[in-house]
Amino acid sequence: MTVFPLKFTRLASDYLFADDAGGYFRGDRNFLERYAGGNLTASDTEFLHRNGYAFDEVGDPAYLGFAYRWAQRLHRPQGLNYVILVPTLRCNLACGYCQVSRVNQNTTGFDWTEDALAEVLRFLDGMDTASAKIEFQGGEPLLRLDLLQTVREFARRKFKDVSFTVCTNLQSVSDEAWTFLDASDTFVSTSLDGDLSAHQRQRTITSHGTDQFVSNLRYGIERLGRGKVSALPTLDVNNLPTPNQIIETFGDFGFRSIFLRPINHQGFARKRYQTTGMDERWNDYHGRFIDALIEHNWTADFPVEEFYFTHCLRRVLRGGHNHHVDLRNPNILGKDYIVIDFDGTFYPSDEARMVTRVGQIDLSLGSLWDGIDQVKLDVLNEEATNSFHPDCIHCPYQAACGIDVIDDLSRYGRIDVPKRDTTFCRRHTAIFEKVFELLYSDDKKAHKSLAAWAGIPEFDSSLAPVHR
Amino acid sequence: MIDLRLKIDDVPIDHPSIVRLRTDVVESEHDAVLIDRDHESQTFDLAGYSLRVYCGPQTDLDGDVLLVVPGRNSAHRLVRAGSRHNTFLVTEQCDQLCVMCSQPPKKYHVDLFEQFTVAATLAPENARITISGGEPLLHKRRLYQFLVAAAKARPDISFHVLTNGQFFEPGDIAIIDEIGRDRVLWGIPLYAPHAELHDSIVAKRGAFETLSQNFVTLMRAGAAVELRTVVLQQNWDVLPRLADYTSTRLPFIDVWAIMQLENIGYGRMNWAHSFKDTSLDFGQLRSAINLAIGRGIQTLLYNFPLCTVPSQYRHLAPSTISDWKNKFLEECGECALRSTCGGFFEWYKADQGFGGLSRQ
Repeated sequence: MTVFPLKFTRLASDYLFADDAGGYFRGDRNFLERYAGGNLTASDTEFLHRNGYAFDEVGDPAYLGFAYRWAQRLHRPQGLNYVILVPTLRCNLACGYCQVSRVNQNTTGFDWTEDALAEVLRFLDGMDTASAKIEFQGGEPLLRLDLLQTVREFARRKFKDVSFTVCTNLQSVSDEAWTFLDASDTFVSTSLDGDLSAHQRQRTITSHGTDQFVSNLRYGIERLGRGKVSALPTLDVNNLPTPNQIIETFGDFGFRSIFLRPINHQGFARKRYQTTGMDERWNDYHGRFIDALIEHNWTADFPVEEFYFTHCLRRVLRGGHNHHVDLRNPNILGKDYIVIDFDGTFYPSDEARMVTRVGQIDLSLGSLWDGIDQVKLDVLNEEATNSFHPDCIHCPYQAACGIDVIDDLSRYGRIDVPKRDTTFCRRHTAIFEKVFELLYSDDKKAHKSLAAWAGIPEFDSSLAPVHR
Repeated sequence: MIDLRLKIDDVPIDHPSIVRLRTDVVESEHDAVLIDRDHESQTFDLAGYSLRVYCGPQTDLDGDVLLVVPGRNSAHRLVRAGSRHNTFLVTEQCDQLCVMCSQPPKKYHVDLFEQFTVAATLAPENARITISGGEPLLHKRRLYQFLVAAAKARPDISFHVLTNGQFFEPGDIAIIDEIGRDRVLWGIPLYAPHAELHDSIVAKRGAFETLSQNFVTLMRAGAAVELRTVVLQQNWDVLPRLADYTSTRLPFIDVWAIMQLENIGYGRMNWAHSFKDTSLDFGQLRSAINLAIGRGIQTLLYNFPLCTVPSQYRHLAPSTISDWKNKFLEECGECALRSTCGGFFEWYKADQGFGGLSRQ
């Protein structure tokens, strides 16, 4: 019998063991010593073999089951099917942290030109996919409803199955815009920065502005339906609402999924807010937020989730969970999704667009007129995997984790910083530690939330295997 | 219960033939068009002869495909145009004797693959045809020929082949590819996570070992597999371990179907020591289901009346009992779940069945 290599880390008074295919179990110090010393007992080998951590011969069911699960952990990018469009950089808000850079509503020269629009349509027409997702970013995209309409009409004809997301601040929505948003294939994503006082401080500035937003958000949910509107909070690590304030504010609007994001290091936010050295504070807050959700869910009628924690939990439990572009491995850029800026420039992600806008490093990838800069893309993609990274291969969370070349470049200007010194690694390590802490907890409240987040009827202790 | 055989008057044919019944248009040489209708029968013109089919005047036979055998006064209704449940029973021979078998094997085999190929080409658009037995892969070469021909002739239809998985070989990968990997869902039973118990349930020594090797072949082939496990008293205690086995050894399957017992055939004979009353005890299923879904295996409950399933698991129990053999009980009359429930098998016996039925 051969045991697939196990990695391990501390888990409370024991150790967590994990393999490259995402299998894991809890074991004690004695097992670790038997494993490391090559002195496995009959009960060890029985456990390891039965649970898929070992095989008898190459090609047997245990071996191929492992190989399949290992392969499932890898993200295999599809052809281009997700396009983020920035028809204008103009905005009717001036949020202090605006990550994307923005210009005042009346500034000229920051919208797609007629020519750019024609090229965008040509670009969409060249996509070889039956189903597609198109996201309108800004600036405030509703300032150019005419462009949105043209793109949507074209895309509906071009693709068999297509959906649209308008990322809007919902500050000022015309009757025409509401009619546009009524369509069943069109969704709204907005910002709701934690609680209303933080929202006002960071975004709307005046109580009148806040009232306008709140009334539009309520009206939007009522008119379009709850399933068509989502909201994301962007939080200032130096001025955080309490977890319960956020849960209550979101709950008040009927939102059951909250995606907590700290003010982004990238873009102009960096100039105004202190965002380095904040990892511990953020990680601690995120952990406390999860605890608050667990407490909330214990008595709530409908469970609430933190989107990213749920995503990480599911990536711990199973392979193939790759729908969120920020966390996957390999994270091949410029393949299944791309950003097209107001001036027709391509970027591999919205973050790359921000980093480039502040002049830190040019991560643009060509343009509508020149095509994709494949040479540059290849350079970025060479390192877009954690599979062989000398730090990651020893990490028990590797199979569930991912990699973010853009994040490393934007923070450190290079990608060879030791992983444990990067924000990406620290944040994900903290999340995975929390995931395993909860999986191996015997707290019924934690189990109730875990089941809801994992999408199973009830928690079962077999999801937290133990071997001694 | 819907009759899958229709009484007919004798027709002058000399070999088994496929006929599609039409009420007005004729599109194929196999089409017979309606020429007369009375209170007990409908008569179709079959190449100059009359084919009289006995049925009520309201019965809609348009598009149905019949197998007519010389000298027999009944026709097999192979395809019912309005149904999602069309099954071709391609052989009654089998190499296993499973304790729950609903269709106990017979010794002799009549090769009707030629007729089945014609019938498949006449099926309604986007039909899914179930191939059942006996063990269809006992006649593997003929079965593959049938699947290749039917899949080529009709790019819109798909197949659900119910097989015990004993006869796949590594060399089959090319032909599975030729048929089309997304054209066939292979429904394959696994009853236990270890040889001793699985082999005893299917009454064949070595069956588990062969099956686990053949799953490897199907995994390599990229085949679509529906793993089928009938819940029995015999395997009740090992269901959580079977979930574990499935998630580690068979992560490639499309779906794990956990099924309730059908009390017909050997299932009826072995009912008393095989039927597990999951309406009174759902325990091992909870564990198995949560582990499997948690690890990313789509898991469903087939043939479970909804009121026998705890409420938080009901979304996993689609209505699966075929339309021609399901029924509802008297107490189902006012039940709020009736419209989404699959009910019971026609041959379900209330006095030996679930102890925990309750109107919702």
